[in-house]
Amino acid sequence: MKDIFFDLSVRSVRLNFLRSLLASIGIVIGVVAIASMGMLGTNMQLIVKNQLTAGINTIVITPDVVRSEPGSFGTQGTTATGITESQLKDIRDAAGTNEVIPIDRTSTQFSIGSSDGRGSIMGFDQNDMKNIMNVSEGSTPRGESDAIVGAMIASRFDLKIGTRIKIGEPNISVTRPVVRVVGILPTIGMSSSNGINTDNAIIVSDTWYSAQFGGANVYDQVNVNLKDVSTLSAVETAIDNKVNRNKEVIRISDASSRVTSVSSTLSSLTTFILAIGSISLLVAATSIFNVMMMSVSERVQEIGILLSIGTETGEVRRMFLYEAFILGIIGAIIGGIMSIVIGYSVVSAMIGNTAYFFLPESIIYVPAGMLIGIVVCVASGVYPAWKASNMDPIEALRAE
Amino acid sequence: MSDFPLIRLADVTKVYHLESGDVIALNHVSVDILENEFVAIMGPSGSGKSTMMNQLGILDVPTSGNLFISGKNVAAMTNLERTHMRRDTIGYIFQNFYLIPLLTAYENVEYPLILKYKQRDNSGKAAAILKSVGFDQALSAHRPSQLSGGQQQRVAIARALVNDPRILLCDEPTGNLDRKTGFTIMDTLAGLHSEGKTVILVTHDPKVAEYAHRTIQLEDGRVVAS
Ligand SMILES: Nc1ncnc2c1ncn2[C@@H]1O[C@H](COP(=O)(O)OP(=O)(O)OP(=O)(O)O)[C@@H](O)[C@H]1O
Ligand SMILES: [Mg+2]
Repeated sequence: MKDIFFDLSVRSVRLNFLRSLLASIGIVIGVVAIASMGMLGTNMQLIVKNQLTAGINTIVITPDVVRSEPGSFGTQGTTATGITESQLKDIRDAAGTNEVIPIDRTSTQFSIGSSDGRGSIMGFDQNDMKNIMNVSEGSTPRGESDAIVGAMIASRFDLKIGTRIKIGEPNISVTRPVVRVVGILPTIGMSSSNGINTDNAIIVSDTWYSAQFGGANVYDQVNVNLKDVSTLSAVETAIDNKVNRNKEVIRISDASSRVTSVSSTLSSLTTFILAIGSISLLVAATSIFNVMMMSVSERVQEIGILLSIGTETGEVRRMFLYEAFILGIIGAIIGGIMSIVIGYSVVSAMIGNTAYFFLPESIIYVPAGMLIGIVVCVASGVYPAWKASNMDPIEALRAE
Repeated sequence: MSDFPLIRLADVTKVYHLESGDVIALNHVSVDILENEFVAIMGPSGSGKSTMMNQLGILDVPTSGNLFISGKNVAAMTNLERTHMRRDTIGYIFQNFYLIPLLTAYENVEYPLILKYKQRDNSGKAAAILKSVGFDQALSAHRPSQLSGGQQQRVAIARALVNDPRILLCDEPTGNLDRKTGFTIMDTLAGLHSEGKTVILVTHDPKVAEYAHRTIQLEDGRVVAS
């Protein structure tokens, strides 16, 4: 399309290039603010949500603590708490094809060379370990006294593959059992929502664990890893019906409620920072409005000429809206490019993780910011354009 | 209807309301102008000549009275119809040329064609008209500010003619030109009249007025001779 009114607008912008550029800077700032604020908020949300949802498909089953209180009948209430082998079987039945992981855990002292420490020790079935533990170094245990260790414990004690750890209280009169480090786990951080934060843990086979800490055939925790997270409540209900038949013996929990509440907090935070970004667009709108009014008042006589020789008012309006649109496009393109650069720097400086930056949910804020910038620009031109098209041609012609 | 004049001003009054009082620029003016007339409007400064031209060119509305152009009451037309009549039926030539500063000489002439046909002209009509009014084609790509007064007025005439209007309104077309250039412009207008255009001309110069076949004399907003 070769529209003469578009040509006229382009020429007007070119004629007043510096002024137009200055007006566009407002839009540039607005677009950058909206886009980088939006990306900052979204990246924050994505990172936190991803860390949280790492365990959202896990149902964590623990013995009901009520049972551990001294009971008034018989001995049941005072026995060591745990999920029994028969309860585990019921859980496996109810969980269907989902992975069921029984876990033993307690906290213990240990020594590496001459330094002592305290941390948790967990016992896993060796096959389960192979399936769910992703070591960053070494391998999963094969031998009875092989262990893998969490990232924090590894770095604190400078553990290497092959390091030996003495488990238990330092006591001169007793020879403590020893495990050998065969693998080191990566940092888990916040994704402890599956109930196993391995960062500060020593992980051993369940047989070794039972031999040292007792409790064979009794477990401190059972995790059910769902293949399909949408079956969460169905599986939970099935387990509850099967195991908690007569009385509450196990407690069933998951991370979904926590994820929902944290992500809703984060999304209101994002809205809030976006709102702050939008204020800058308001400032941009004012500067565009100003420049458009200037353009109209500088071109009064020209408008008078256009109207007097038969230009429709709609065509005059269009000419000025084009001008606002061109200013918007210039601002949006510069702003779009800058917001990728600035947004990336802001996200990497403030969150320190740009892994999600180029995901659609995040990068969409660049075109969205550009579009909003253009819309704001054109909207700011509506009144000036209307004013131009409604001039009295004779009055306008007399203007100098 | 066939004996209805091309233009009829019927008892037209135009009053400007100013803080210092009302100015009656046109006072009960009734004038008929027929197809293919060549009319000169004369009168002292401030007598209402330009006001009358603005009425004829439907750039302004009368305070009272009516204007008919080819039988149609202008007051009864919509804004858009008036705009289209300005575009298609009337050609304007002003003392100050009033070319569009951002467009080249050629584009200024092409502009009314674009208004009418909503697309760029590729018929060569604009170029042909520019040539016919004696405009040097080498200057086609120049902006108005790069042209002399006489050259600008030729572009303005070409622009006024390009949509083949029936009426040419010329408000002191030679006012900003030297005498010699003024007369060549008048020769061009006389030629257009002989081709069938209705030409209405405002001038202070009796020599220029001699080109016309009829003179309307205005004084204090009244027609004193016609
Ligand atoms: N826009 C306006 N507002 C107020 N008064 C006006 C306006 N236009 C014209 N007038 C007044 O109307 C009267 C007629 O003006 P007009 O411009 O028609 O005169 P003219 O005959 O064209 O004069 P000139 O020969 O100087 O061009 C004058 O008294 C003038 O002051
Ligand atoms: Mg005048």
